[in-house]
Amino acid sequence: MKLSAKDASLNSITTQVLKFFLLLATLTCLSACNVTHFEKNNAISLAQKGELTSARTAIKRHYSSQGKNRLLYHLELATYFQLEKDYQQSNKHLTHAKDLLESFYTVSLSETALSQFSGPTYTTFHGQKYYRPLLHVMKALNYNALAIAQPENRPALQDSALVEMRQLNLYLEALTDETGGYNPSVNDKLTNQIYAILKPILAPKALLSNIDYRDDAFAHYLSGVINEQNGELDSARLQYQRAASAYENGFAEQYQLPPDTTKQAYNNLARVMTKSGGYEIELERLKGKIDPQQQNHLSQLTVIQNIGVAPQRKQFNLVLTADHDSKALVMTPIPFGTHAERQAQIQWFQMLFADTSIFDMIQNYTMGDGSDVALGFVTKRLPLGGLWDNAKKVGLIDALQYGARISVTYLAPPKERIKSTEIWVNGQKHSQLHPFHSIELLTVQNALKNANTEIQLALTREIVKAISAQKLLQKTGLQQHEVFGRLAKFATSAVNAVTAAADTRQWQSLPAQIRVAQIPLPTGEHNIIIKTQLNSGRVINQTEQVNVSGQMSLWQTRTFIDAPPQSKSSTSSSIFNLD
Amino acid sequence: MKKPSNIIKLTPILIACSLVLTGCKTTEVRRVDANQEVALSDKWNGKDSQLVSEAMINDMLSFPWVRDHLAKEGTRPAIIIQSVRNKSHQHIAVDTFLNDLKRSILRSGQADFVASADLRGEIRNERKDQELNASLETQNEMGQEQGADYALSGTINSFVDEQGGSRVTFYQVDLRLIDMTTNREVWNGQKKIQKVQERSSYGF
Repeated sequence: MKLSAKDASLNSITTQVLKFFLLLATLTCLSACNVTHFEKNNAISLAQKGELTSARTAIKRHYSSQGKNRLLYHLELATYFQLEKDYQQSNKHLTHAKDLLESFYTVSLSETALSQFSGPTYTTFHGQKYYRPLLHVMKALNYNALAIAQPENRPALQDSALVEMRQLNLYLEALTDETGGYNPSVNDKLTNQIYAILKPILAPKALLSNIDYRDDAFAHYLSGVINEQNGELDSARLQYQRAASAYENGFAEQYQLPPDTTKQAYNNLARVMTKSGGYEIELERLKGKIDPQQQNHLSQLTVIQNIGVAPQRKQFNLVLTADHDSKALVMTPIPFGTHAERQAQIQWFQMLFADTSIFDMIQNYTMGDGSDVALGFVTKRLPLGGLWDNAKKVGLIDALQYGARISVTYLAPPKERIKSTEIWVNGQKHSQLHPFHSIELLTVQNALKNANTEIQLALTREIVKAISAQKLLQKTGLQQHEVFGRLAKFATSAVNAVTAAADTRQWQSLPAQIRVAQIPLPTGEHNIIIKTQLNSGRVINQTEQVNVSGQMSLWQTRTFIDAPPQSKSSTSSSIFNLD
Repeated sequence: MKKPSNIIKLTPILIACSLVLTGCKTTEVRRVDANQEVALSDKWNGKDSQLVSEAMINDMLSFPWVRDHLAKEGTRPAIIIQSVRNKSHQHIAVDTFLNDLKRSILRSGQADFVASADLRGEIRNERKDQELNASLETQNEMGQEQGADYALSGTINSFVDEQGGSRVTFYQVDLRLIDMTTNREVWNGQKKIQKVQERSSYGF
């Protein structure tokens, strides 16, 4: 049946109106997502203000101990209980979290199938690979703190701390078996240097190939400290060796950590070798890598400063449409939020998905026209070519009449906000705290690594949802009716847009960065001040009377740099001394 | 020809229903015998503690030190448990294991146990309290405690070998008994347990 010019014009207006409503629905949905996002991160905001009990209440309100976010329920509560110095409760939740992480080894097929139709947020959160080492370190520090508080149970609690370090070691051994870890390069050094310079020009996408979480130098280092503290010198030696090797062969470079990390790990290695005795040849080999001044027999105070809050995973939206002229599917980003957020979303899109490579430009040129080449910077085109007719047959092109919303995660680029952190001992400046781990960069790299898989899965899911809805409409016969058909199609597109959500879940209370300093001090009471100077000029002071005893003492602090200046929670610290 | 087509059509619905039903399984609790092993993982469990303690004590009492002590002193030897350190990779309730050890020895009737230092302190306080508050007939005297003849100590170690979903865990318990007068090691026992755990990568 041929449509009259009037009908065609009416249809066009209807389509435009429906598209407008779809856009409106999508925007409403986006703002709704932002409200949820705020609610979720409310806990960490409360914690920064020092309201830890309220932060725990917020977590309990947002997550369930039995639901799909049960892992986060336990991890977040464990962090807040540790900040409140309730180490027993913290460990109880960490034990639950560890058991859950182990149980997630078996992937549920029913849940995977469900996620194909619903989205990742409807499935159980399985955590990230780097959660396990942090969990063991946190648990061991809790056991150490309990050993101080309960002298009658000290041997058993010290043993428990070491059990955590053994479990950590097993996990990291399995991880390095899987990933290869960080090993000294066997190739010619000059060739490697030239390749590193040319790589961004020759193979920009290959930049993503070297950002795997392969081993955890910081976890090895801290394991060495805890083993040394408990007199397990042999285990301490092995852990320091692994830490030094990982820092030296790539961990420090990957997470933009200073060379002091490697040096400190070697210093500790040399110290335990000297204490154990029988390592004269090895110590001779280490001579160029260590600071002889640090090889004294004074007690050591290890200061661990957990700074800031891990970056938030945010949602970034794209619209998938079908371009009939160039027979291609087109993904266009819809930046949303503040100016900085919109900029970050566009940068993320251009960095990972946009048609910016020469291959993509040629492809756009050959499949479309010149304007597609220019648009390549703000779109991603998936040319179907000969597959276009098949796509039409299965109903894909028709299903995308009003577009489909695709949601993926992105992270804002990390900003260095800390100028320096200094340690003052008994009123005198002693040394600097150096970054030993960047959870901020680890999170960003992890998101970058998973970005392509994430968008592919999101794309497939939304296409499957759109086609399924299209088929359902065909079965109901609604599509035959001009106005109701369009309304029904619009409604299904709107429903799909609402249910499309990126997985922004993560262990939010982790710090952004971990800084460490190790200072030799005579045994006894010392007044220690950590001065954290921010780039904004603000200085955060944390003071503690530390009783240095035994061979190794630990002082752990949490510094919230976004806390209001007068907030009681700028600091939260624990001292771990063991004789 | 219509039947197979219906079956094909129904198959996805049946699969979906079974998936839903799997997800709807409610919590179920059963009472089982405490001696029955319920191994949900390769972690050290109550059965391991019981088996190791029984095997260790049988071995310990088969050594000549009990007979020698009886011949020399004319009384059953008194043992004190010093410490059993957990050097394994698992959190092990060492107290439970030690209680299993004590029960096995006491059941054999060939040796006695002396209370641990913490417990002794509590009993002494109780005796002090008796001196003030209990009648003379029911008071227990101070300075009448039995000293231990032997000290029991040891370690629990473990090794793990893991590849994909397969994990072999090897526990080794080492115990030793020291003569408190001469520092002679009169017994040294060892018990090993090996467990294999297979985990599936996929499940419903």
